[in-house]
Parts: sequence; C-alpha cells; structure tokens
Amino acid sequence: MQGKSMKTGKHILRDYASKPEFSSLLILLVMFVLTAVLQKNFFEIKSIMRNINAFAPLILVTMGQAVVIISGGIDLSSGTALSLLTCVLTSIMKKNDPITGLYAIIITFLIALLIGFMNGFGIGYLRIPPVISTFATSFIWLGIALFLRPTPGGESVPWFGVFYNFDTLKDTSAFFSLLSGFLPPALLLVVIGCILWYVISKTRTGRYIYAVGGNSESAYESGINTARTQIVAFMINSIFIFLAALFFVGQTGSGDARMGDPLTLKSIAAAVVGGIALSGGRGNVYFALVGALILSLVNKIIFFANIPYAYQTLVGGAIVIVAIAGSQAYISYSTKIKEIKIG
Amino acid sequence: MNILEVKNVKKNFGGVVALSGASLTCKEGRITGLLGANGSGKSTLSKIIAGVYTPDSGEITYLGKKIHYRNPHEAKQQGIGMVYQNLSLVPELTVWQNIVLGDEKNAGYFLDDKNARERAADIIHKLLPNIDIEKKVFELTPGEMQVVEIAKAVSRKPKLLILDEPTAALEKAQVISLFNMMKELASSGVAIIFTSHRLWEVIEICHDLTIFRNGQNVGSMDFDKDEKDVKKIIFYITGSQSETGIAKTCAETCGETRLSIRNLNLGTTLKNISFDLKKGEILGVGGLAGQGQQELMLALAGNFAKISCDAKIDGKPIKLTRPSNAIRNGIVLVPGDRETEGLFSKHSVFTNLIFPKIGIEKKSFIVPHAKLRKECEQIANILALKAASLDMPVSTLSGGNQQKVVIGKWLGLETKVLLLSDPAKGIDIGAKTDLYSYIIDQVRNRGMSVVLYASDTKELIEYCDRILIMYEGSIAATLDTEEITEENIIRASMRV
Repeated sequence: MQGKSMKTGKHILRDYASKPEFSSLLILLVMFVLTAVLQKNFFEIKSIMRNINAFAPLILVTMGQAVVIISGGIDLSSGTALSLLTCVLTSIMKKNDPITGLYAIIITFLIALLIGFMNGFGIGYLRIPPVISTFATSFIWLGIALFLRPTPGGESVPWFGVFYNFDTLKDTSAFFSLLSGFLPPALLLVVIGCILWYVISKTRTGRYIYAVGGNSESAYESGINTARTQIVAFMINSIFIFLAALFFVGQTGSGDARMGDPLTLKSIAAAVVGGIALSGGRGNVYFALVGALILSLVNKIIFFANIPYAYQTLVGGAIVIVAIAGSQAYISYSTKIKEIKIG
Repeated sequence: MNILEVKNVKKNFGGVVALSGASLTCKEGRITGLLGANGSGKSTLSKIIAGVYTPDSGEITYLGKKIHYRNPHEAKQQGIGMVYQNLSLVPELTVWQNIVLGDEKNAGYFLDDKNARERAADIIHKLLPNIDIEKKVFELTPGEMQVVEIAKAVSRKPKLLILDEPTAALEKAQVISLFNMMKELASSGVAIIFTSHRLWEVIEICHDLTIFRNGQNVGSMDFDKDEKDVKKIIFYITGSQSETGIAKTCAETCGETRLSIRNLNLGTTLKNISFDLKKGEILGVGGLAGQGQQELMLALAGNFAKISCDAKIDGKPIKLTRPSNAIRNGIVLVPGDRETEGLFSKHSVFTNLIFPKIGIEKKSFIVPHAKLRKECEQIANILALKAASLDMPVSTLSGGNQQKVVIGKWLGLETKVLLLSDPAKGIDIGAKTDLYSYIIDQVRNRGMSVVLYASDTKELIEYCDRILIMYEGSIAATLDTEEITEENIIRASMRV
C-alpha cells in the first residue's frame, strides 16, 4: 500500500518508550519489586488473592474515571455514587428472600445508569463545567445514600457473597469450592470491566469519546453529538462503579453512605499515573488499571515499611505526587526531543 | 445547472454589518472564486452557506430548493462540504481517523477500520503521496494538517465544496496537487467555491470570480468571456487604483550597521549564519519553505536559550538567549502564527495593544488607564484598524485586523529592529498595503530596521533592499537591490 512506512524494531521501541504509558509500566515494575521484597509471603496464592480483593475496587473506579477523563470530563462524584449504590443494594435486599438479590441487582444497575445519565446531562446539555457539576451531584448521591442508610447496615441475601468469594456457593456445587481456592470473583469483575471497554472501544462511541475529549469543537463540526457522547462516557463510568458496588456488598453484606469517599480523588490520581491526560482525548483505559495498581502498591509498601500510622497518609501523598510529576516530566522530556528533531 | 443561488443575504453580528446584500451563483462543475478584503463578508457568506451561521434575511437556493440550515450537520448531509481556515481536526487522533471522523462505516457492530484506512489513503495520497496515515495529527506540519482537512471534506463526496483559504499554509507543490484534485472534482460535476488572497491562484484555477467589498458583491468576472485583468480585480477589491508610491530607497536613507550577527548556530537547525543589518534597511529572508527561515526569526528574537551567537546591536554586544533581552534592546518579533504566538485571543484589543508597554516600561505602580487609552486610539487610527470598539475580544477581529494588533502593540516603544515573520499571510490586499506602507514609513523616516520573512516571493521583491536566501539552515546567497528578481530568487533558492 502506498505510503505505509516500514518501521524497524528499534523505531517501534523508541516510539513506544516516549509514551507516558511506558513510564507507568516502569514505575509498576519498581513497585512490584519493592512490595515483593517487603511482604514475605507476596507470592503465596492466599496473599495474591487477598491483594486482588484489596485492589479491585480502586481498579474498577479508576477505569471508569479514565473513560470520563478521556471524554473531556471528570467525575468528583464517583465515591459517593459508589456508596449510594451499596446503600440501594442493601435496602432492596431482604435477608431471607433470595430473589430480592436479583431484583436489587437489576434496580441498582438501572440507578447506576441514571446516575451516569444525570452527570452527563449536566455537562453535555446544561454546559456546566464537569468539576462543578459532579461536585454538586456528589452531594445529591450522598444525601440519598444517607437517607437510605443513616448508619451503615442494611440487609443482604446470603448468595450475594459470590461477588467476594466463590466459597459462598460451595453448597451448590463442588466446582465453586475448587474455584474459591485460587480465583477471586473480584478478578472476574475486573475482566468484565475490561471486556466492556474493549467492546465500546471498537465502536463509533469509543472513537467519539476520544474525539470529544481531544477537541470538542472539531468533534461537533464533524457531526458528532458531543453531548450524547459525554453522557455515554458517564454511563460507562457508572457501570464500573456498579461492579465495584457489587464487590463491596458481597464482601461486607452492608451498605455505607461514606465508604466510597476515599476512592474519588484516588481514582483521579491513579488515572493520571496511568497516563491519562486530564485535558482529555488521550490515554489508554487499560493503563488506568496500571495506575490503580501502582497507587495500591504504594499503600502496601508504606504499610510494610512500618511507617508510623500518623505519617502514612503524608508519605502516600508524597509518593503519588512524585509519581505524577515524574510521569509528566517524562512526557515533556520526550516531547521536547521530538520537537528538537523536527524543528 | 445552478447548484447554488444566493440572493441578497444580509447578516449582522451585534452592531457590525458583515453582509449588507450578498448574491452569488454557483454552477455545476465550475470553480467560483470569491475575492475580497478580510471583513468584506466572503468568509461570512461561506459560513452561512455551510450552515454555521443563519442569515438575517435573503434567500438561498440549493439544488433547486430553498434552504435554511440550523447547523453545519444539516448542510453536510445535503452535500455541502466546507474546509475552514481554522481546522476542525482532533490532534490526538490519526490522519485516517480524522478523515473519516463523523462518517465512520461499520462492519457488523464494530467500526470497519480497514475500509476507513483505505478510503482515507485513497484520497489523501492524491494530495500528499508520502504521508503516513497512522501519524497523529499533532505530529503534522500546518500544511499537512490543511491537506487532511481538505481530504476530510472531499471524502464526504460533496456536491458543493467550499474551500476557504485552503492554500494559505500550503507549499507550491501541494497547491498544484490541490488544483489537480479540484479540476477532477469539477469535471465530475462538483461545484466549488474557492477563496484565496493570492491573485495568481484565483486567476489560474477559477472559472469565474465574484468580488466582495463591505459586505456586498461589487463585481464579477466570467473567465469564459472576460479576460483576466489583474488591475481591474484589484480595483474592485480595494475600491481604488493600486498605488505605486514613491518611496525613498535604501541608498538615500540607510545608515550605519544596527545589528551585527556572527556565527549564529542552533543545533542542526541553523548553521553559521552571519549578516549585518543597517539602520533603515529592509532585509528579506527567502528561500524554499522550511529551510529555517521561521527558526531564524525566532532565534533573533531570543527564543532559544541554547543558541550560540555573537550579536551586537548598535555596537553593543547582547545575548540572544531570552526574549526579554531582545525586547529590552529594541528587537521585536511579529510572529508567524498570530493566533498562538501573537495575541491573547480572549482578551480585548485594548489589553493586547498595551500589554508590552505595561510589561516593559515599569514606570508607575498603578496602570495609567486614561493615558494608555488615548495612545491606543492613536495607534488604531494610524493602522486604520477596524474595530467596533477597543474593548471587543481580539478573536472577533478579521485576520488582517488581528495582525495589525500584533504589530500595533510594539508601536510607541523604541523598536530598533522589527522582525516580521510572514506578517501578511492570509491578509487581503487592502490591509497588506496599509501594513507595509506603515512599516516602510517607519523604516525610511525613523531609521527602524526590518528583517522580513515572507512566504510570498512577490512581497520580498517589492519591499526588500537586500534578500538572504536560506537553504537547509544556512545562508546560500545574498541578493542586493538590482539582483532582486523573481528568477534570481528562485535560482538561488533551488541552488541552481
């Protein structure tokens, strides 16, 4: 085909190395090594499963956040939305009535979509800047959550634990007992999330999410419905949050109006560490996963390095800043190299 | 058949009349040229036809039916395509993704990327045979981006194609490819509206011309019948005969050396450049596009910290490592890309004009608003700046007027060396003449020195006392006064 340039292996490596994703992989590798060194039983199955369970919620919320940021927005209501969904789940379910579990899942899923729709609507049609709009909606979700669950609690059907541990269904089939030995359901939830994004990314909507985030005027002039695209991005985000809510209720059996709060800002930081540009239009959702892993490992390292509790937040924050600054510096360094070569 | 008929369209923006009664006819398979000054209404009319603006009154008939589009999508769906001056590309997406943006086809449920790549390659390789369609748009040069924009519009198979200044960023070879594509489209029945400030282009490719001034059309020519009379065209555009002013020559007015540059080196971009610039001299920088001319201008203005150079202004050695050094010594740059480098687009005209004054002359703690206001009004007068009010955001001005602001802000400061990086690009004849006559006045009568880089060779020939021809980052030749002819310039540029 005319015009296709032949890229040598060296060129491909150099092109790839200048991307921010590359630096995040490097950082991840470093974090893995450090954690493995500090945590003696890091490579044991039980320990890996426990880690996956600990990391999964942030991974899911970060992936959703990444989609929103790529579309040119940001979601400051992720955490409270997550809390709200757990409260909804545990308010619909009745301990002794297994079918309520199914109802709860369906209704909560629809509510999650509604949350995404409302967030997207405020930004796409009401033209409120995302930071302000989602900041405002975070209080709406919190308010409803507190109304449903003033204190943590609520009910959950016994089989809901399957979202946390396959052991829950051991009475139904020995197969589940087997799975519970090495496969945490949280991993499957993450895989479902990845499949969801994979499918979307191969459709027009996926392409338009990048276009709208990259330059919304150009997208509009090209005939793309920017408002609709932004709404869809937020709805995808909600689905990820929904998956995380399933996990939390599976784990604790209760709903809590405040449990999601720490995840909001962490998901943003994780997305940036994973190479998602806050300006929009750029980044790879799978690498948001990497960013979330990095952040989670940072916490582990702090814990195992025996840093006094009082300083853990400080040190954790400092490491995040260094990681983000390092990633940005890497980007501008490699961009400068490109510029000098061209100019 | 008449594809498009525009009758007496009027359009107001706030208090400013953009169109006071414009009419136009476009026939199937013909290329219609639109000529006129910036602010004469031709861009506005194009945007109305393309559905970006709605007319206040008047009638537009397209394919026999009266149309009233509410947004550009409706126009696009009916087969009207427009290529803008301000690009509508998404920088982070690749060339092929941009070409099919908004028009993607599916294979089953998913995007048919293979088909998209083929479609994109088909079109764009006619204009740029070697372009890599996998490159992201932000990696391209402005000329290449313009070509992608054109490919995008053409890929929708429009029946009416509007090209608004498509050649401004293109090199001669690309312009020729574009013209070939236009001829091909025209012969397959597409009606084309073509705008350009380069008269030779319009004369060469268009079948007929309509000329605008002050919001209405003042003349038209049909090249099937009329002859191509350049003087007549200029008359229509400016409303006056083109003046051949009698300017003093350099021999009469030039003084001692003002700026001396020795051994200017910048990486691999600029190599061993040395020259002298006299007081009151206009020194041109020419050569093929992309030989380092723009970089030289930026370098002289102090934009590159890593530069190595022996520079003296009026005998005093200076370091060209920071822009503030250059400015404090009276070396001032009017950049090529006024939108990104020359103006604060969201600020008012007034703010833009006074900014250097406030920044450099640190006199009083409180900004003397009234005094600055008066100075601004004087400057606006000198430059015949058309702005409804000094408080309008500068982005609302036409290109030519914006450029006047970029230059205007340096007036009133002691400018010793004015560096002009393609100042008249995309500016109509009327504004161009204004601009240059002001500059020449400053040069001949006040002893200001000018280094002028112009992509239009004719500008270099008309205004420069001496021309440096650049090739691959160094000076290949110097042409002095009588040696300045188009033939010599081309010879030297191509190293013949």
